[in-house]
Formats: sequence, structure tokens, C-alpha cells
Amino acid sequence: MPDYTLTTSKQLQRRHAAEKRFQWYGRIAIAISVSFLVFMFTAIIFRGAGAFQQTEIGLNVALEEQVIDPQGLRDAGDISRANYKPLIMDAMQDIFPDVSERREKNQLYRLLSSASVFELGERVAKNPDLIGTTQTLWLPASSEVDLYMKDKIDQDVPEELRRLKDRDIAWVETLRSQGLIKKSFNKNFFTNGDSREPVMAGILGAALGSFFSLMICFIIAFPLGILTAVYLEEYATKNKLTDLIEVNINNLAAVPSIVFGLLGLAIFLNFFELPRSTPLVGGMVLALMAMPTIIIASRSILRSVPQNIRDAALGLGASKTQTTFHHVVPLAMPGMLTGTILGMARALGETAPLLMIGMIAFIVDVPKGVTDVATALPVQIFLWADSPEKGFVERTSAAIIVLLAFLIVMNLTAVYLRRKLERRW
Amino acid sequence: MSQTAKTSVDLTLRESKRSTFYKELAIKTILMASSLVAILTTIGIVLSLSFEAFRFFTKIPLTDFLFGLEWSPQTAIRADQVGASGKFGVIPLLTGTLLISAIAMCVATPLGLYSAVYLSEYASKKTRNYVKPLLELLAGIPTVVYGFFAALVVAPIIRATGSGMGFEISSESALAAGMVMGIMLIPFISSLSDDVINAVPQALRDASLGMGATKAETIKQVVLPAATPGIMGSLLLAISRAIGETMIVVMAAGLAANLTINPFEAVTTMTVQIVTLLTGDQEFDSAKTLAAFAIALFLLVLTLGLNVIALKIVDRYKSKYA
Repeated sequence: MPDYTLTTSKQLQRRHAAEKRFQWYGRIAIAISVSFLVFMFTAIIFRGAGAFQQTEIGLNVALEEQVIDPQGLRDAGDISRANYKPLIMDAMQDIFPDVSERREKNQLYRLLSSASVFELGERVAKNPDLIGTTQTLWLPASSEVDLYMKDKIDQDVPEELRRLKDRDIAWVETLRSQGLIKKSFNKNFFTNGDSREPVMAGILGAALGSFFSLMICFIIAFPLGILTAVYLEEYATKNKLTDLIEVNINNLAAVPSIVFGLLGLAIFLNFFELPRSTPLVGGMVLALMAMPTIIIASRSILRSVPQNIRDAALGLGASKTQTTFHHVVPLAMPGMLTGTILGMARALGETAPLLMIGMIAFIVDVPKGVTDVATALPVQIFLWADSPEKGFVERTSAAIIVLLAFLIVMNLTAVYLRRKLERRW
Repeated sequence: MSQTAKTSVDLTLRESKRSTFYKELAIKTILMASSLVAILTTIGIVLSLSFEAFRFFTKIPLTDFLFGLEWSPQTAIRADQVGASGKFGVIPLLTGTLLISAIAMCVATPLGLYSAVYLSEYASKKTRNYVKPLLELLAGIPTVVYGFFAALVVAPIIRATGSGMGFEISSESALAAGMVMGIMLIPFISSLSDDVINAVPQALRDASLGMGATKAETIKQVVLPAATPGIMGSLLLAISRAIGETMIVVMAAGLAANLTINPFEAVTTMTVQIVTLLTGDQEFDSAKTLAAFAIALFLLVLTLGLNVIALKIVDRYKSKYA
């Protein structure tokens, strides 16, 4: 007679081991997914944190009147356009008196960002009293020096492949030993538009472009979305038309975002001839994309408002419209707002449709309204990520950090609103 | 006297009733009009895409587009140049898209499904409350961020690993884009499958456990088979999303249309080509720009088809256990 106890116990052990394994597969799957999330965030923060600081070089610049404003007219435009390069080069010469060759002087000058002349001009134009005095001014260093100061240049690379030569590095070290080079908060990143030069490139233009687009998106999508939801939940009788609308909304939510961009290109730009590359058109396209999300969320909120409330209002003689807009909609409003914020957060991260309607151009100016040519935050990230300049890697990551921060704020607002205002029935 | 008073009351009542009626009607009309925007959007999409696509097909025959094995949309400046007409075969784009989607699904399916099973069957309520939002965070990250990550972090790692093992991997390999896209798809699969698994009636589990099956056996042999149609639906939805995904592939996949299924080579996708054809200067009559609309129409049909099938499956599944 076979020993059943033995075989079963062995089998049982095997089965229990399989059970354990199976549980571990699940844990491992979750661990991989979550660790990927952590990996991605740390990689981006690690790369981007540096961009919030900028390297500056301190120079004793003699702001000579005959160079800046020979006629003494004190015209702000002329002052800012004056030729500051010789002044800066003289100041550099003072620090490195043994550099005399013309080429070397130019090399020395290139430690500074090429935008530093404009920056200097603007500072002097703002404060004309400086003319004729000698000032210690901190001017932005070039992108290479900036990267070197942040230890992001691989010094093992042979000199001829580096843009920052050994001599430049020696100069930077001299400046460092004299305390004439420092890292300070990178204000430009938050106050400038785009630039070809990483040091001067900022996200204000893109952020405002996103803001204006979202504003248009909200103005269109919020009322339309809510009215549609109210119609479908409170008014519509079930017939072919409402079925069609419902199928449409569900399908629109699944249309690839780039197709919405093509819609915008063909209809808004080519047919209605609205201005290209503007937040106006961008917002309209985003609104069409966000609407299904808002409608679906609003409908489920309206459905959760108890029937008693409608019955009570109707019983007291309120009309259908009064019942809906005086009682049901106000009760559902916090939930609908939450849904709208979440829909807008999605729209903020959308890139592909904006590429299609031309919000991808290189734009230095900060947009002032919805009809100004602009780009958007995610598009700016895309543009910088594409740039071959090494300094932009840092900016791209920093822009991503800013974008994620906006998204987190929007999502937290939604969560807060839900906690604070939403009623549980 | 009472007679006249009564009539006037009647009159005002009737008038107010009538004005209420018109007000209600007006409001109802406004509501209905706003809900028609959804239909208008769909009509707009279909009309604009098919109109431009139709113009494209008057220049390039439909069969050349659907069955052509070569994609090189460069139209020449002079008519007598070599290859002046360009080649508009969609097959290399389709295989590229499917290759990347397949890699993405290979990553997302096991991770998403195992996560869903663990979260719905094993995890305590507390773990669930923490882990589920974390997974869903993956779906909330803008795709441009994934694209940046794929191009600047994952692709170099894959390349270095490849050259460490002694073979060449393109820096724009399908593998990098596909893997990162797979991570993006995890929450789509996990949260839908989670719902589906939760919808399987407890009675089925109890019966299986009562027969002495372990929990894992119950899940593998009872719960998952019962949930298969719903899970299939969620996988189809994820595939549809992978096919329509744009930014990750634009940033991490290549531009050259290679007809290959080698994941280490660079391939291009339909969405990448739409973006490259339509960004930058464009004249609205060249076959090159119109081709983008033809691809988009193809893409729309593909994704919507998958979507409709998926929703049908999920619906039928839900009604089975409702």
C-alpha cells in the first residue's frame, strides 16, 4: 500500500511553495514599477537641480562715459545698445595682466556668456548714474564654465575634444581662488524667454504660453463639459441621439492626442484661419481633448446626487430647470470642479497636439496675450531635449521639475477640494 | 367681481406658465446644443482627416499607400531628380509601430497583471491605499517626460550594455522607446484589470478554496480564466494607447523607416512621421504634408477599431457577472 501521507505532504509543500512564489511575483512586479518611478524622478532631479543655480563672474568694470554715452544724452535705448565689450575686456585684463595676445584676450572674454554684454547694457540703462564710475558687477559665465563649476565636464576627455581648454580651466581656477566666481540663484531661468544660449534660456515664456492656453481651455471646456453632463444626466431621454452623443464622448476619450492636433491644423488654422502658434488655438485644441474627461467625471458626480433632493424640489413646485440649477448642480459643483482640474492637469502635460498647430517655434519674447505667438512648457521641454548644446540637458530637467511641480499643485488642489467640499451621501 | 378677478389670476398664471415653458425650452436647447459639440468634434476629425487624405490619394494610389514596402517622403525640388515622387508605403511605419507596441506590451503585461492580481487578491487595504495611487502616478506623468527619460537615460544604458556584451545597438533602438512606453502603460493595465478581477464573484473563489485549492491555484485556475475577457479588453485598450502614443517615440525612436523586427535597430512609427511631416515649413498641397493626414486617418481607424472591440468585450464581460 503506497504511503499517502508522505506523497501528499511533499505535494503540499510544493503547492505551498508555488503559492509563496506567486505572491512574490506580484510583489516584485509592484516593486519594479514603483522603483522605476523613483529612478525616473531621481534621475531628473539629479540632472536638473543644477539649473536653479548659475555661475557668475565678478568684474570691476569701469563704466566710461565716452564709450557708453559719448554725447551725454542718457537715452536708455542707446545706453543699452552701447558697445560694452571693450569695457569688459579691460576689466578681465586687470585680473589677468599677463594675458596680452589678442587671441588669448578673446579667449578670456569667452569665459563670460555672450549675453553678458546685453545684461550689462540693460543694468546700466536702468541706472544711468553708474556711468562714469567703477562697479563690481557679477555677470553670467558661459555655459561651459557653468558646467565646469557644477562638475559636469568630464576632465578625462582629451583637451582637443573639449570646448573648455586646459588654459580656460586654469583661468577659472584663478578666478575661484580670488573669489571672483560664484554660483548664485538662477533668476534668468524664471524671468527669461527661450534663448539659443543655455545660460540665458528661461521658462517664463513657455510657462505663460501654457497658462494662456489653459485659460482658453478652461473657458471653453468647463461650461461646455458641465452643460453636456447636465443635459445627459438630468434632461435627456434615452433615444438614438443621446446614445450617439454618449458613444461619441467615449470614443473621443480614446482618440490619440496627435489626431486632435491635426484637427486643429485643418479646421482652426487652415479653415477658420485663426493665428498660428498661438495659445488661443492651442487652448481650443486642448479644450476639445479635455472635454470628454470633464464630461465623464461630471456625469458620475451628478449621478451620485440623491434622487430625494430632486423629488423634494419638484414637490415644492420648482420647475425642472430650477431643480437642476438651484439644487442639483450646486451640490455637484465641487466634484465637477475637481474633475475639471484633473482634466486641465492632463491638458497641461499634452505636447503632441501643440506641435501640430505650430507652438513649437523658437520664441524669445514672452507672450502677453492669447493671440501672441507662444510655446508651452512641455513643448519647451521637447525643444530643449532636442538641442545639441550640453548646457540644455540641465535646463530640460529643470523645466521638467517645474512642469511636474505645477502638475502636483493642480492634483493636490483637486484632492483638497474633494476632501473639503465634496459631500458624501 | 369675483368672476373678473378669477380670470385675471388665471391669465397671469397661464402667462407665467407659458414664460416658464419657454424658459425651460430655451435652457434645454442650450444644454442640447452644448452636448452636440462632442458630435461636431468627431465629425470635424473625420471630415478633416478624410478630406486631406482623399486629396493625398488622388496623388498617390491607395494600394501604393497600404501595401508599399518603402517609405521615403522626400519629394524632390526638381521634377527630373532621382526618386522625385517619393515613396509612400505605410507598411514600414506599421511594422515599426507594432514592434515598439509589442515591446511595450511585453513589459507592461506581466508587470501590470501581476500588480493587479497582488493588489486585488493579496494586499492589505493599507498597502493598496498607498500603492495604487503610486502606480497611477505613472499614468499622470506627461509623455514628454518619459520621452526625455527614454532618450537620455534608458537608451544610453541599453547601448552601453549592448556594447559591453559585444554587439551594436542603435542609440535610437526600438527597445528603449518600447520599454519606457511599457512602464507608462502599467497603470492602464493594472487599474482596469484590477476592476475586472474585483468583479469576479466571490462565490467562485469560495467554491475553489473550499475544494482545498491554495489561493494561488484559485487565482490561476478560477479567477483569471473567469476574468480573461475583461483582461483582454484592458490589454487591447493599452495596445490602442501604445499605437497612438507620440512623444516617447518622437524623442526616443528613429526617423528612418526600416522594415525590420529587430528590437536593437532604429525604427520609426506612424506618429513620428506625422510629426516630422507637419512640423516646420509646409505647403498644403504637396503629397508630403497630405501624407500625414492619410497616416492619421489610418491611425484613427486602427485605434478606434481596437477601442470599440475592447469596450464591447469589457461590457459583455461586465454584464455576465452583473
